[in-house]
Amino acid sequence: MKIIVAIKQVPERDAQVHIDSPKKWIEEGDLQWGLNESDAYALEEALQLKEKHGGEVVVLSAGPERIGSTIREALAKGADRAIHVDSDELGARDALGVARLLAAAIKPENPDLVLTGLQSDDLGYGQTGVILAELLSLPHASLILHVEKTDSGLNVKRELEEGWFQNIELPTPAVLTIQSGGSKLRYATLMGIKKAKTKEMKHISAAELGVDAKANVALDQISLPHKQKTTQILPGNAKEAAAALVEKLKFEVRVL
Amino acid sequence: MSGIWVVLEERGGRMSRISWEAVAAAHQLASQANLPVSALLPGANTESLAAEVATKALAKVVRVEHAMLSPYTSDGFTIALHQFFEKEKPDYVVFPHTYQVRDYAPALAARLGQTLIGDVIAIEQGPAFTRQLMQGRLSGSYRHNGSGTCFVSVQSGAFRADTVAAGSASVETFTPNLDASQIRTKPGEPFRGSAQTVDLGSAQFIVSVGRGIKEAENMPLVQELAGALGAELAASRPICDAGWLPIERQVGSSGQTVAPRLYLAVGISGAIQHLVGMKGSQCVVAINKDPEAPIFEVADYGIVGDLFEVVPALTEALKAAKQ
Amino acid sequence: MVSFPLTLAEPQHFSLAEKAAFAVLILASLWLFWQRFGPILKRILDSKKDADFHLFPIGKRVWDFVWEVMCQAKVIRQRPLPGLAHAFVFWGFCAFALVTLNHCAVGFGSGFLDPTSILGRFYFYFAATFAIACAIGIAGLFIRRFLVRPPWLGEKLSWESGFIALLIFLLMVTYLAAFFVTDASSAARLLWWAHTLTLLVFLPIIPHTKHLHLVLSPATIFLSRGGFSRIPPLHGDEDFGLVAGKDLTQIVSLQVYSCVECGRCSEHCPATNTGKILNPREIVLGVRAYLNEAGPKSEEPLLGKYNSQEAAFQCTTCGSCEFQCPVGIEHVPILIGLRRGAVNTGAWEDDHGGKLFLALERGSNALGMGTAERDKFIQKQGFPIFDGTQEYCLWLGCMGGYDPKGREIVADFARVMNFLGASYGVLRKEKCTGDPVRRLGNDLVFQQLAESNLETLKQNNVKRIVSICPHCVRTIQEDWKEFGTPPAIEHHSEFMARFADRLPKQNAESIVFHDPCYLGRYRNVYDQPRTVVSRAGTLVEAPRSHERSFCCGAGGGLAFLGEEKGERVSHVRAAELVATGAKTVGTACPFCNTMFRDALAQQGDAAPQLMDIAQLTARALPQRETAP
Repeated sequence: MKIIVAIKQVPERDAQVHIDSPKKWIEEGDLQWGLNESDAYALEEALQLKEKHGGEVVVLSAGPERIGSTIREALAKGADRAIHVDSDELGARDALGVARLLAAAIKPENPDLVLTGLQSDDLGYGQTGVILAELLSLPHASLILHVEKTDSGLNVKRELEEGWFQNIELPTPAVLTIQSGGSKLRYATLMGIKKAKTKEMKHISAAELGVDAKANVALDQISLPHKQKTTQILPGNAKEAAAALVEKLKFEVRVL
Repeated sequence: MSGIWVVLEERGGRMSRISWEAVAAAHQLASQANLPVSALLPGANTESLAAEVATKALAKVVRVEHAMLSPYTSDGFTIALHQFFEKEKPDYVVFPHTYQVRDYAPALAARLGQTLIGDVIAIEQGPAFTRQLMQGRLSGSYRHNGSGTCFVSVQSGAFRADTVAAGSASVETFTPNLDASQIRTKPGEPFRGSAQTVDLGSAQFIVSVGRGIKEAENMPLVQELAGALGAELAASRPICDAGWLPIERQVGSSGQTVAPRLYLAVGISGAIQHLVGMKGSQCVVAINKDPEAPIFEVADYGIVGDLFEVVPALTEALKAAKQ
Repeated sequence: MVSFPLTLAEPQHFSLAEKAAFAVLILASLWLFWQRFGPILKRILDSKKDADFHLFPIGKRVWDFVWEVMCQAKVIRQRPLPGLAHAFVFWGFCAFALVTLNHCAVGFGSGFLDPTSILGRFYFYFAATFAIACAIGIAGLFIRRFLVRPPWLGEKLSWESGFIALLIFLLMVTYLAAFFVTDASSAARLLWWAHTLTLLVFLPIIPHTKHLHLVLSPATIFLSRGGFSRIPPLHGDEDFGLVAGKDLTQIVSLQVYSCVECGRCSEHCPATNTGKILNPREIVLGVRAYLNEAGPKSEEPLLGKYNSQEAAFQCTTCGSCEFQCPVGIEHVPILIGLRRGAVNTGAWEDDHGGKLFLALERGSNALGMGTAERDKFIQKQGFPIFDGTQEYCLWLGCMGGYDPKGREIVADFARVMNFLGASYGVLRKEKCTGDPVRRLGNDLVFQQLAESNLETLKQNNVKRIVSICPHCVRTIQEDWKEFGTPPAIEHHSEFMARFADRLPKQNAESIVFHDPCYLGRYRNVYDQPRTVVSRAGTLVEAPRSHERSFCCGAGGGLAFLGEEKGERVSHVRAAELVATGAKTVGTACPFCNTMFRDALAQQGDAAPQLMDIAQLTARALPQRETAP
């Protein structure tokens, strides 16, 4: 099976966010970067499929030079080779624009399966994988926890709302967006990092791919959300506090 | 262009609350954009649902009706709605941001050369659509460029379903052209996670009990609370060590790591070994009689009180709310 | 007949046939010895060279040799009575060197020590006293092994040990008896042959049994790694730790062949004592068996047939084994080497271990918490930020920065520092020192953490660090050396002890002090925390204290792994501490503190309170001391 895993390098989870002066994005100077969480699960799923059925796992990522370290991390975990789409202006594209770029890089590879994480930890659109399927004219399924190869294609386990699940059968080639938590992630090993040094990393510039960068949607401005996370101690006696909590759960937390 | 269209989603034979919230969002948009709001109901055999929808303040209700639209498939919905939108050319399409919508709306928008603005929590003047970034640490204001339909999906709970006024709408039917060969995925029957094994890792609601419960005889108190909330029962280490709950229900560094939408910590002090197991919870509520208990540091909501009073009160309040 | 003074009988006039027979027997004995010893020596020499071994500075090596080998210090100190008995046997062997040479020379008619001369008489009497001591010693050891039967010598009776004991006894007896016969008697000749045969039978047995240590252990002790629990750096692109035979180094091979199977390592091992699979002696003997069967060039995995991966990951790296070993085996680097082999190659699959590694791959602390939590803590406490002008950098660590109890300890220590007028600051950014991943054998993550932290320290111009955690202290001072030059660091007990007379003197309760492994055995710091405790109350010693302190169970990364099998190490130690009757348990490590908290809580309301030495001191300070 030839599997392409599209990954994204994002600011590390507990990064301090400081909005830059134009208020368009955050200050990137002090940031530490890492692999997007659900992409790690997508990579894990791909590696497990390769271990079971043989084949090749190719990681694909678009972005500036700094994403190289995250691509190497993916190679260290077991991917066979990598494609780095060089682009310093990914932020100017919307989800459709980014997906067009990736689709152009994927098409000539003719993979059996394309995996993406469900959504990114920074922008969180959750759309790239689904749009990719549309652009590549491939069937897809999203929120996938587990992938199995069958004689006719794939059988995948999809997460539904409220603790329900569903199995879906679909043919290959296909696109899947992978939800976090489906498998146990493997840790990066010294041996993996050493092997990664000799693996191929191909560079393609965004210009080479000649893809339309026009954005339908623009992010005008960013700001800090009004509500900061502080502990609200609910006052009153047991009955009063309980009632207040139920109100909060209904309207603030929105879980009831 | 034909105004604002809200794509409704049924759940278990009824209109889901989030669909009404999408209608509320659409109305808010309408007051800015001065456009009519209509509803779309894709699916099969949706007459009675459509009739219910038609009792709300909408210009039109259109049933996008086809046998192949049930059960839901991304291909079915994308093709059907694409045909409709090609014909109607909406100004805006508003979706509820559900798992189902996430599965097809981006593809649908892309097919029409557009990009979905997803998981919107507010609609400001412009219209400018607000959504959360960096896991809620930032807010972003988005704008749609140019001509063409603007696709938007709204987050659950961001708009109030009860603000949708009553009214009387006409009901129409649109029959898309669908062929079985176009539906490439075969969905199976939904099923619940395995009932035998405890899977705290994927539980959405957890009630967790600690040493504050004092004795095994008091456990039914929290079991009732868990029942009222539809939650899984979990515990800190000492409870499992004492055998009051099986070890699979232990949350903590040497037990399970959980990330539910709601974590209710009852009588748990908040030692680090426990915290590391539940810090991924989206919302933490703590009930403890010690105001200095470390659990309050990580809680979103806290009740300082005697759990033997608070828990029964909470159980009752929850039962009442669910009615 | 016997005449006084007693003179050692030397038989004369051996016939040519006798001399020939003697020569043949010597050759045969030597050949048999070499036949077994040769391959062993070859295996040791064929092992990989130790890339980081330095013969110099030689002073310590010489001292260790004199103290541990010649004076038998460890042997005696750790098990006094049997140790002394063994020492006599050893000294007897040493004293007998010339005797044995002379004995053989006599066989060829050229004895060089005249038993009637002053020198000869003196020497033979000298040797005789040792012979008596040796005989008594070996008899005592025999009785201990076969009649008393202590548990750590194992269930099975070692007939080989019994036979050797007999041979040694015979050697001494045949020597002593020769004082009571005359030169010319047939008894003298008989004794001479008896002694000779015993000797020539003993020689080839040495390499076939654990008595190989007679030959190897002086070298083993001299050629140690040069520090307690010294973990060698990995060397080159193909080195991932002890994966297979070809990774075993000369030092490791030499050490495992020196094992005398005394069981002292297992006796004090917290894992062995709580029903785990891990048994340090079995680890060593397992590696030895591997070398015997597969050899030092083999690709067969070390963890498999001879030792299990499960056992290797039950080690808390407390170091009791290595500390006890009388023949110089360094167990901890071997165990960590085995772990490295499993982790660096991804062969170790463990839920909790994987989680720990992933947490430190992406984040800054072992608990997987967000750095905002640490920032909030610093803000709330009003800690000054280190800006290069203060004398000390107060290192919070993972426990001090994120654990509620650890934070209390740090906060109290900060109060003490304020009270003493010390200038300090905390770093804005800290990453985990990497102690748990270092001990678990993950060199990738450890290198990343060490390099990142060293860079931070350099940028902030940190010259001196003080920390409440012995694990941080050890890792920063020793383990980071592999990647740079760490600044000086000390433990808060060392800091406070310097100002002991300024610490408030309290007439408070009895406090039993628990020596942390990483402060005691690892750093040799025993007195300073006691000085501090004595200011706060009445010091009580646990039955196993100082270098014998019994681990709390958290080390070796185990605090981050899952459920233990068997009894919980922390509970066993907690029970021991409670049994002293002290009102308070005093700790000097946030991990010990955490481990005992649960265990003591199980004891119910009568349980002693649990306090770090910083808390014991701070409780008597006037008011809430804020930073100047």
